[in-house]
Amino acid sequence: MTTRVLLCQRDELTPGSLKKVPNAEVGDICVYNLEGQYYATADLCTHATASLAEGDLEDGLITCPVHWGQFDVRTGEAVTFPCEKHLRTYQIIVTDKEVFADVAKEAEEALAADLA
Amino acid sequence: MDNNLIKLKPIEASPALPNLDKLCDMEAGRMSGKIFWDGDIYEQELEKIFARCWLFVAHESQIPKAGDYIATTMGEDEVLVVRQKDASIKVLINACPHRGNKVCFAEAGNARGFICNYHGWAFGTDGALRGMHESGVYEDSAFDKSQHGLREARVDSYKGLVFATFAADAPSLAEYLGPMAWYLDVILDNDEGGTEFAGGCIRSTIECNWKIAAENFVGDILHAGWTHDSAARAMLGGAVAQVSDFPESWSVNWNGHGYEFARDLVGNAAVLGESAINKYLHLQAPKAAERLGEFRSRMLGAVSSFTLFPNFSFLPGQNTMRVWQPRGPNKIELYTWVIVNKNAPQDVKDKWRRGAMMTFSPTGVFEMDDGENWEYCTKTSRGKVTRYQDLYVGLGMNTRLADTDLPGNVFKGQLNEANSRAFYQYWKDLLKAPSWADVPDRNGQLR
Repeated sequence: MTTRVLLCQRDELTPGSLKKVPNAEVGDICVYNLEGQYYATADLCTHATASLAEGDLEDGLITCPVHWGQFDVRTGEAVTFPCEKHLRTYQIIVTDKEVFADVAKEAEEALAADLA
Repeated sequence: MDNNLIKLKPIEASPALPNLDKLCDMEAGRMSGKIFWDGDIYEQELEKIFARCWLFVAHESQIPKAGDYIATTMGEDEVLVVRQKDASIKVLINACPHRGNKVCFAEAGNARGFICNYHGWAFGTDGALRGMHESGVYEDSAFDKSQHGLREARVDSYKGLVFATFAADAPSLAEYLGPMAWYLDVILDNDEGGTEFAGGCIRSTIECNWKIAAENFVGDILHAGWTHDSAARAMLGGAVAQVSDFPESWSVNWNGHGYEFARDLVGNAAVLGESAINKYLHLQAPKAAERLGEFRSRMLGAVSSFTLFPNFSFLPGQNTMRVWQPRGPNKIELYTWVIVNKNAPQDVKDKWRRGAMMTFSPTGVFEMDDGENWEYCTKTSRGKVTRYQDLYVGLGMNTRLADTDLPGNVFKGQLNEANSRAFYQYWKDLLKAPSWADVPDRNGQLR
């Protein structure tokens, strides 16, 4: 079974925008375009039930729409209360036309940050 | 516009009180103090005036950025005026649609949203319900978040002033203001940069009926030469201008709004005792003439005042804008701001802010003069007999000017109660009308 999940077309998201991608296996995924660089995390906030795709993306931080906690979308780090538990990230694979997540792997940045 | 759009349930109109013509007869120029004291009348006012009319809620300069908000009230309904991400403005009822708790306790600020302290219902700045504590359990009750956001009022603005109404059937703001907008431009549009509020909101209470204060500004310069004489001597070193000496002055009204004015340019401003303000007005007048014509350029800081029905008032010259917030039949909460031209020099803005505080604010000498009079105008009506006796509102009866180019219902002279009569007539018409469609148009017929 492949762990590769299609997120969007390469030209689908403009820089600074984001999108929720439904996924029944690992839970919904949120994909972000940060100035041309793609990132993906779990869409469900780690604090309470909320879709991060409905939040505001500014300076690499996603602000949860419900209680305004924040995560760094590159590393998944919970940076603003009431979010304390880090967010699951997914490794991005970009092909000619499409953007995928490998749901078996964390993002490189998350591994480097070593948040565990 | 229907009520679904603003998510408000319409109020079923209460039957009109039976004795209003006895208590308020503007054809005869008389009324009774009962209208300043009676609890039943007050409840009708909340419903038929404050829940219906366009009410001033903010100046756009108070909330420049997305998420900026101020808290105010429309009648006794608490609302939040919030700048949206698309730069539009929403007015949201500051009460959670779950158990009614207040969702924002600050008077002003910037927020990403509002979260209720009780059960954690969380709303975006657009009022949409975004989530709740234990949100999963709501799903079993077929809960539809889109139906449970903060309730919205209708919003519109005129040259920086933001107004809102709860009434789906209210006329447009432009229709409501009518030709009074032409006079408002004296303040709002005398400079290309527009206006802003200087400093914050000064809040105070006066134990008077809201109509007495609103009526004072709608057309009562008569009191100033007497009530404020001593304060004027203290502030100015001289008496208030003798208004009856002015070669010409006017009272104009429309839909219960009223503006009384002379064209002496600096008469009101002079009581601030700041030569820099007088100088600014003299320098500004020619620029204003280019925008508004010579006639209105002489009104900038002149002896004048106005009220937009029901409770939003302004003094040109002192540049104080205020809302007489009703808090029961015999109490108001007074919200006061200072308005200045955005392009005015900072020291002139500061002098206006300070000047307004020295004159019309809880620390102001003129406000103290007025407050005492208004409190006793209200409190004498607690006497059961006194409250039914006639109060005279007949000054200037039959002084309407037919041969004038000025917009609105125009009357001769400022020392004239024509605007007061128009104000109380509109008040009575609204209390009698089951809906907006039933409010008679008396423009052109008033005496």
